[in-house]
Parts: sequence; C-alpha cells; structure tokens
Amino acid sequence: MTLRTPTPEEPFIARDATYHKAPEALRVRVQSAVAREGRARVVHVGRRTLAWGLAFATVAAVSWNLGAMRGRDAAQDIVTHDVLSAHLRSVMTTGRLVDVPSTDRHEVKPWFAGRVDFAPAVPDLAARGFILVGGRLDVVDGRTVAAVTYRYRLHVVNVFERPAKDGDQPPQSMSRQGYNIVHWSRDGIERWAVSDLAAGELAAIAE
Amino acid sequence: MTRVTRFEDRVMPHLDAAYNLARWLTRNDDDAQDVVQEAFVRAFRFFDSLRDANARPWVLAIVRNAAYSWMEKNRPAEIVPIDDAGLIDADQESIGHAAPAESNPEVILLQSANRKLVNQSLEELPVALREVLVMRELEDLSYKEIAEIADIPIGTVMSRLSRGRAMLRATIETRMRKAG
Repeated sequence: MTLRTPTPEEPFIARDATYHKAPEALRVRVQSAVAREGRARVVHVGRRTLAWGLAFATVAAVSWNLGAMRGRDAAQDIVTHDVLSAHLRSVMTTGRLVDVPSTDRHEVKPWFAGRVDFAPAVPDLAARGFILVGGRLDVVDGRTVAAVTYRYRLHVVNVFERPAKDGDQPPQSMSRQGYNIVHWSRDGIERWAVSDLAAGELAAIAE
Repeated sequence: MTRVTRFEDRVMPHLDAAYNLARWLTRNDDDAQDVVQEAFVRAFRFFDSLRDANARPWVLAIVRNAAYSWMEKNRPAEIVPIDDAGLIDADQESIGHAAPAESNPEVILLQSANRKLVNQSLEELPVALREVLVMRELEDLSYKEIAEIADIPIGTVMSRLSRGRAMLRATIETRMRKAG
C-alpha cells in the first residue's frame, strides 16, 4: 500500500456540479443595499465629525458673538449664526437630518407645499456632485425656512431657503467655526449653503 | 473615488463566487440571495479591513460566516461537527487503494454520472465537507485560501477534501447501483 499526499483531483465535480451564477436581480439588490449603506454612512460619519466640531464650536461661538455682534453687519451675523446652528442641529440629532428622505426633487419639492409660504427651488445638482438626500423644515432668524439636504462625497450640505427681502445678490463665501457658508439670492429666493466641505467645492453649489 | 465605487470595483466582481458558495451552503436560491445581500452590506461596513489584500477570499469568508449564521438560526441540524482527528488514516488508506485513473472502472462510472446525480450527491454531503469541495473544485481556491476562509488548518482542508471526494464517489455509486 503506497501512501500518497492528497490529492489526485478527479475532474468530475468541476465538470458536472452546477456553478450557481448570481441572478441579475441579486446584483441589483446588493448594489442598492450597498448604496443605501453608503448614504447612511455619510450621515453617520458627518455626525461624528461634527460632534467633535461642536465642542470647539461652543467655545468659539462665545468669542465670535462678543466680537462680531457689535459690528455694522450684526443683523446679518445673527442670521448666519442661526444658519450654522441649524446645520449643526441637523447633523447631530439622530434621525432628524431630513423629514422627507428622497433623492428625487419631484418628491422633495411638493413636500414643502403647505409647509412654507414659498416654493423652494430644490435644484437637481447631481451633475456637480451634490446628491439630494431630502428636505425638512428649520428655523432661521425666527421664521420657518426650507432646508434642503445634499451630500457631497462624505460631507453633508444643508441649503436653507427663504423668500428674499432684497433683490439678487451674488454668492458670498464666509467661514464660521471651521464651517463654510455660501450666501446668495436669486429669483426671489435667499439661500445659505452650509457644510464642512472645502470653500472652493462648496461654492460650486451657488453657480 | 467614493467608498461605494471603490467597493463596486473591488468586491462586486466576486458576486458570482459569493452566490455560488452561499447557494451550495444553503441549498436554496432565495436563502442564498438573502445571505449574499447581508454579507455584502457587512463587507461594505468592514471594507477598510480589506486594505490591499485579495478581495475574493476576504468576501467569501464574510459570505461563509453569514451563511453559517443563517443555518444556525434556520437549520441547526445541518451543522454537523466533523471529527477531523480520525480522518487522515482513513483517507490515506482509501487513496492508497485507488487504481490508476485510466483503467479504474470507478472513474468510468463517475464519468457517466450525470449532472443531476453529482449535484444531488454533493448537496447531501455534510456541510463541512461540501464547502471545501465547492471552494476547491468550483471556485479553484488554493488550500491556503480555503484554510483562511473556513478558519481551519491547511492539513484539515486537505483531509476534508479527500474525505469529501471519497464520500461523494460512494454516494454516486450507491445511487447509480440503485438506479441501474
């Protein structure tokens, strides 16, 4: 009896046993499940980053308020401060990033009807890398505004909209507590975009 | 490149291998699909742990774990522990008795075995033997890769392979004799 190391491979299993290829339906299912997980992750990572950011922000806000509130643009600064606070609230409160989660602007835009007294634009900005996440209501400067949320890579971008008091204003970029804000008015709507995204990348949203 | 597109680039090409393994473990289309979906979501969460390693054994290990969790919950009776300690002597004995392939009537018998017979017989094997055969013969994975995926020593992979082959041959022969 000769002992041999395994294994002389009889080919019949590879030849006769069925190789089960993944059905196309499964491919679609898995892709959308992963994409969903990717979106959830964007929000999660954003929240975690911002939770740390807020520790600094709270300290910074005090000194910033003391200094800036005395200036000529104090009123505008209060609004900007509100916008930033609303952004921070949205990314820190679990499950409250959006009230109407949808990547379809035709679902998000009608949701605002009857909730705010103007029609928010909710533009489709996917071509510029801003993927629509959904919409919700928020409060800025003592009144209800429309908040439209996008993601840009791993960053959450909130766009706050309200009817413009003055005419058109060109995009103006500013930085507060490490967050970037772009402010502009167009077609009767005043908007603020807020994110921890780099200023140059965020500016593209107002083009 | 986003995390999702990187995942699609590196892991999605192994969806067929994932499904094939899950299908042979669960022996059911729908259950295999559920297992694969859950495994891929899990893989996406732990995508960072892949680093520069080969994605195929990495994702197959996750699929295998998901399949075993599913079996533990739904068909615990199928997870039969295998006594690897007593295997080697018996295996070597059976291999030692094997005649050269060309003149072996057993091989001729096996060659005439139809796909249905092989599939049914393979499905009947204990899962611990079935999985190493599927990974080796259908997925063409190395002993080392199988050892990593199934979390067993390479020697155990080899002994389970030969034990699995012997058992499969025996099952096929029994079935053919009954049929003939």
